[in-house]
Amino acid sequence: MKTISLLGVASYLPERIVRNDFFAEGTAARRGMFTAPTTRRHVASDELAATMIERAARRLVERLNLNPAADIDIILTNVTIPDQPFTGCGAEVARRIGCTPGWVLDVHNTGCVSFIYMLELAQRLMNDGDARGALLCNVQNAAGRLFAQPGVRLTPQAPVPGDGCGVGYVAASDASPLLAAVHRVHPDCAADMVVSADDGRRYWEPGLSRFSVSFTEERVAAIIARGNRLVPEIVRDACRLAAVRVQDIGLLVTNQPNPIFLRNWREALEIPAASHHDTYDKYGNLFGAAIPINLDDALESGRLTEDTLVALGGFSHAGDYCAAAVMRWTTTPHA
Amino acid sequence: MTSIDARVSEIPGLVRCEEFDRDAMAERLTEMTHTVYAHDQVYGQFCTIHAHIDCPPADVFAYLSNPLSLMEWTYSLRKLRPTGSDGLLVGEDGVGTPIYCRTVVNEQALTVDYHCAWDQGDELWMIYLNRVLPAELVLKQPGSVVVWTNCRHPYYENNPFPHLCRDAKRTWVGDLWPFFYAGHSIELQNLKIILEHRRRSGSPLGPLPEDPESRS
Repeated sequence: MKTISLLGVASYLPERIVRNDFFAEGTAARRGMFTAPTTRRHVASDELAATMIERAARRLVERLNLNPAADIDIILTNVTIPDQPFTGCGAEVARRIGCTPGWVLDVHNTGCVSFIYMLELAQRLMNDGDARGALLCNVQNAAGRLFAQPGVRLTPQAPVPGDGCGVGYVAASDASPLLAAVHRVHPDCAADMVVSADDGRRYWEPGLSRFSVSFTEERVAAIIARGNRLVPEIVRDACRLAAVRVQDIGLLVTNQPNPIFLRNWREALEIPAASHHDTYDKYGNLFGAAIPINLDDALESGRLTEDTLVALGGFSHAGDYCAAAVMRWTTTPHA
Repeated sequence: MTSIDARVSEIPGLVRCEEFDRDAMAERLTEMTHTVYAHDQVYGQFCTIHAHIDCPPADVFAYLSNPLSLMEWTYSLRKLRPTGSDGLLVGEDGVGTPIYCRTVVNEQALTVDYHCAWDQGDELWMIYLNRVLPAELVLKQPGSVVVWTNCRHPYYENNPFPHLCRDAKRTWVGDLWPFFYAGHSIELQNLKIILEHRRRSGSPLGPLPEDPESRS
């Protein structure tokens, strides 16, 4: 398999900062799975996923001095609430940033671990062809689009999600090598997270009832136990594949469903809090965008430095996918 | 408010559904549920272990009730003999420490507690609490479940009778507390293996009487 490198990341956060007084009374005092972050961002009602990706991608292009037409052969996207029900936004992103990639894949699955999944996909696509560079794009926009709706915003889970976009540029290069990436599919967990309306209306059917995203209640304890277990397991697996020791991880970046999972994962991996970077308190649950946004935040805040061994990990939805990756971070300027 | 609610409502610190709804309870449950627990968090103050033994509860109880069985299934308690004091036995561990032991049983509750101490038999403070449960009731399978608990008595921290120790280099039992989970688990496994082996082979469960010829 060709060696690939994540050469850089960039992010875009919507302007609108939402505080806890927007949600139900007592939100700030909530604990456990619905611990409210102090703030989170919400997309504007007319803010498109394609626009968010465009903004983050322009930053990345500038940072790495890329020529999109020549350097981006592959575009992969994952968007929580797609702009359009039929089409993905990858081709629209290509138009906006000025490139004609050979491959565009709008990845609809793997939610919170889609960044890692897309890293693996990029490696596979590059391995079989002559593509040199891939743009990986994650948009989380369910906070503004779904959880801010009247009725939904007063539910206990509404304060948890936050919106944002993170992008990464991957090249067939050994400058900042991906040492291992692994994912696992758990079909038996596929049906445990559902979007539902109180009156049973399906999302494509007309009506006024509100939708919520929830776990099947009788399985909540099992889903939490599963999340607790899956992430440390797969991070260890990635370390084993990469032939590195877990205790040598310099920076752990995971998805950030809530502070309880974050605590449990680093406890299980025996990684100190200072080496587990999250932005939960300011951005909330960023779903799939958490990993690239947190990487960018770690770079900006000086926590991700030259030669750091970085581990990525997480699980999606109710555990249908989990994934982890290990890389040696090098801040090499784009050749 | 019922009379029960009225009686407990004045007691601070309770978590009951009258004051904590399901969401508030869920917050506490998830917060308290970790992926891993440090050894000391689990076994720091109390050490409880359990095992299923494929042997009827009455038989496990009878075996444990006879303190001579300790010479079979414990790692190093040997040479148990009467002291002359009521029910009090004295034996030795592998390195010659005198260990005093009185067995306190309750046949109805199927409990067998060994009240023990090193070096002296006047204050038996190392208490090994065992309860035999019918596995049919708790696991819907034949046999027994043995639950064994020790509590970290303050004497584990400091030997109150240092002058009775005959070997200055001896490791005090309390210094081994961090190994109690492992050591007791091995001994409980011994108990299980002995009883299941004898039951399978149809031999008496014991403890088997010591052969006078082999006494050294």
